[in-house]
Amino acid sequence: MEYLKIANGLPMWIATGIAVSIVLFQSILFMRKSMSCGRQIGISDETLKVAVKASIISSFGPALAIVVGIVPLLVTMGGPTVWMRESMIGSVTYELMAAGFGTAAMGVTLGQAGMDGTTFACALWAMTLGSTGWVLFTAFFTPQLDKFRTLIAGGRKALIPIISASAMLGAFAYLDADRILKFDAGTVACLAGFAVMAALVVYGRKSKARWVGEWALTIAMVVGMVAGALV
Amino acid sequence: MSDNGKVFDGSYMPFIVRWGRLTNVLGFLAGLGPAIMLYVIFGFRPPFSAIMAGFIAQASVSGVFWFVEPISYFPIFGVPATYQAFLSGNIANMRLPVAAAAQEAAGVEPGSNEGTILSCIGVAISVFVNIAILTAAVALGAAVLKQLPPSVMRSLGFILPALFGAVFAQFAVPNPKIAGVAIVFASAMTFALRKGLLAFLPGNPVYAVIIVSVFGTIFVAKKMHEMEEKKKGAAA
Repeated sequence: MEYLKIANGLPMWIATGIAVSIVLFQSILFMRKSMSCGRQIGISDETLKVAVKASIISSFGPALAIVVGIVPLLVTMGGPTVWMRESMIGSVTYELMAAGFGTAAMGVTLGQAGMDGTTFACALWAMTLGSTGWVLFTAFFTPQLDKFRTLIAGGRKALIPIISASAMLGAFAYLDADRILKFDAGTVACLAGFAVMAALVVYGRKSKARWVGEWALTIAMVVGMVAGALV
Repeated sequence: MSDNGKVFDGSYMPFIVRWGRLTNVLGFLAGLGPAIMLYVIFGFRPPFSAIMAGFIAQASVSGVFWFVEPISYFPIFGVPATYQAFLSGNIANMRLPVAAAAQEAAGVEPGSNEGTILSCIGVAISVFVNIAILTAAVALGAAVLKQLPPSVMRSLGFILPALFGAVFAQFAVPNPKIAGVAIVFASAMTFALRKGLLAFLPGNPVYAVIIVSVFGTIFVAKKMHEMEEKKKGAAA
């Protein structure tokens, strides 16, 4: 697998590093602007601090889950490609599928004999091109999405929180239904995560304890994970 | 317009839209960089037909989601986090849960000006943590990651289903009726998908499950809200 020398070489680190930097730059820029606008419209420093802390804590579990998923990709596509692709639009499942389509187009199964530089490049093209729709659609049409939401709400501000909660519940019901109808250890993890989170949300709203908002998601995730692993 | 509205709509939003558009387009172009470099400098040149075949295969799976996901997730994200999430990816498994956690911890409504700002901050932080941990993992390399005991790897695989259940609970507790509606739509559609009842739709019909789950729930919740308001109106 001679191509892996190039796939893991310095030029690839530099080329992928440029893309990763743009993702970082956007979030740094937006975060700074949001902090200052938040203060101007009257969000207290205390609230901002709580939200920042909750976000840091809640990000760890999902970030670790991504690391677990990348191992098969690391072996075939090399560090730089995985680094860039998992920092950009797509997901662990998407990238594996796209890389597979790319090598299949060259008549090779991802990671099997016959992988060479050209097949590797074809996989990279598929991963990149297959995700352009998301980036470009949102680049140009995000303000229209805002108008669309107002349209669904019939121009009534009171309906917007209800629409937001409904969209979230609809999307996660879809993700959960898939897990639950499988009836395996993942189902147990999902139900345990649900039960623990429900209990914590109820407790948090009653007690107003700040640690609940910061830790609830992580606690529910860990208990759910352990429950699934024990089955 | 209040002073808050002036700052938010007059200065914050135009800044976000201008820079969001620019950074997403730049991100798209930079994303092509490595593949172009391999082509030009290293001579890894897959035939054009193979590049298109790989792209078309993936587009036939993802194409509908390019539009369905931004529209479905917009009510939670708001404008700034939509740019961020669809540049940085890993949305259902990371950006959405963290955006929701930030809003919940701060006690603000998704969709309000405050909610929009906090979801942006939440997604930004998830990007930082994501890239930091990912960089460490990639630097350690596959060889080291493979050393982790299989039991640990297996356990970490359950983070995702647990996370999906937990995020649902976070929104289900304050909105139990809407949660029930969502579960009915999602289960019925998932069941129909598995039984092949959606096979009449073009492509892989998973997109129909998410569209019906999200917009069916929104539609019914809106109707329920209107009925409750009428009741209140009649009582008063």
